[in-house]
Amino acid sequence: MVVINKIHITSVLVLLFAIILNILPLPSIIDSCRPPILLLFLIYCTLAHPDNINLTYAFITGLILDVLLIMPLGYNALCFTITVYLIMLYYPQIRLQSSWNKMFSILMLLIPFFISSTLVNSILKINYNILDVIISIILSVIIWPSLFNMLRFIRQKYT
Amino acid sequence: MYTDKQLKLGTEVRNNFSHIIQPIYTISESPLKLYRNTSLYIDTKKSIIKENNALKKKVLVQSGIIQQIPPLKAENKRLKKLLSSSSSIDTSKILIAELIKVNLSPFSNKVIINKGGSNNLFLGQSVVDSFGVLGVISEINKNFSVVTLITDPGHAILAVNARTNKRIVLSGTGDNRKLKAKYISLNEDIIEGDLLITSGLDNIFPGGYTIGEISVIKKKTNHDFLNVKVSPSSALSSNREVMLLW
Repeated sequence: MVVINKIHITSVLVLLFAIILNILPLPSIIDSCRPPILLLFLIYCTLAHPDNINLTYAFITGLILDVLLIMPLGYNALCFTITVYLIMLYYPQIRLQSSWNKMFSILMLLIPFFISSTLVNSILKINYNILDVIISIILSVIIWPSLFNMLRFIRQKYT
Repeated sequence: MYTDKQLKLGTEVRNNFSHIIQPIYTISESPLKLYRNTSLYIDTKKSIIKENNALKKKVLVQSGIIQQIPPLKAENKRLKKLLSSSSSIDTSKILIAELIKVNLSPFSNKVIINKGGSNNLFLGQSVVDSFGVLGVISEINKNFSVVTLITDPGHAILAVNARTNKRIVLSGTGDNRKLKAKYISLNEDIIEGDLLITSGLDNIFPGGYTIGEISVIKKKTNHDFLNVKVSPSSALSSNREVMLLW
């Protein structure tokens, strides 16, 4: 019971930190193609604790981001929930993969996320640049191994 | 999402949780503030003197221009009296607000300012910067407000061509560097470089503020109207302080 509580507390704190990282102001050149940091943190948390971090976490985190970013409520919540659902389907396979294969899996997981977000963008008539989306995916895959190691270190130390 | 668009649930949530949202914005903004403050200390004496000299020159030029304003105002008033016109560009109150630099979506065309309902702001209030019109207030919370920029695709503004005094409807494109002028007939007297100012007829923006200048005019044979692009004069993506007008 205590372990489960520890998992939840650590995950919430990590996700809060990720939310702040997600809205951190950056120079305008990188700004448009920044990787979805919060989603990457959420992917790690789901991969690490699939029994505790579930679709509710994804939905609520997405809603918080929508409120902070002044987006239509449910925009990020929907995209995050789709991605976390996919992880919950395939987490046994992803967890066993090597670091390189994991990078490929992240790429495969991020593509539905970006497809769903661009779909919602076009429905709600929000402007987007497809090149920035592609760069954002590539950047996410590149930073994944270091992010994974950092978060694993935190998890092993605090849970 | 549809419900939110109709019922503005997001606004309600932000309003009720503004005490929680404000610290998150402050924390995420703090690295940038720290960087700015430290760079102030690190700046060399030489660069500060250089900047000071440039600012002095700017003030000298601008005070020269300002000196011409009272006689021009008087002349304008006299002419307006002759024409029996009652339009005026005077504003009674101005409030300076600072932008809260958090990363909203780069294509959202919205910015957050650090003044809210406690400063008696109202919905639809016009926001300008030192170069021109910036946008209108679209959401008010207790300690912060959301400004929709004039480049937002859902925003339109009634402008006047300063050269010909003809009215032009401008709408946002989503791109911070351009606006689109709508319904301009093919034989309209319009040239590249024409200055567009607010008309004051929309009851949102006071008249006489610079919006931008016409950058591109394209004529297509199979179209009924000209394809005109306008480059906004305000520093939409780089400013730090804005003015709120009453």
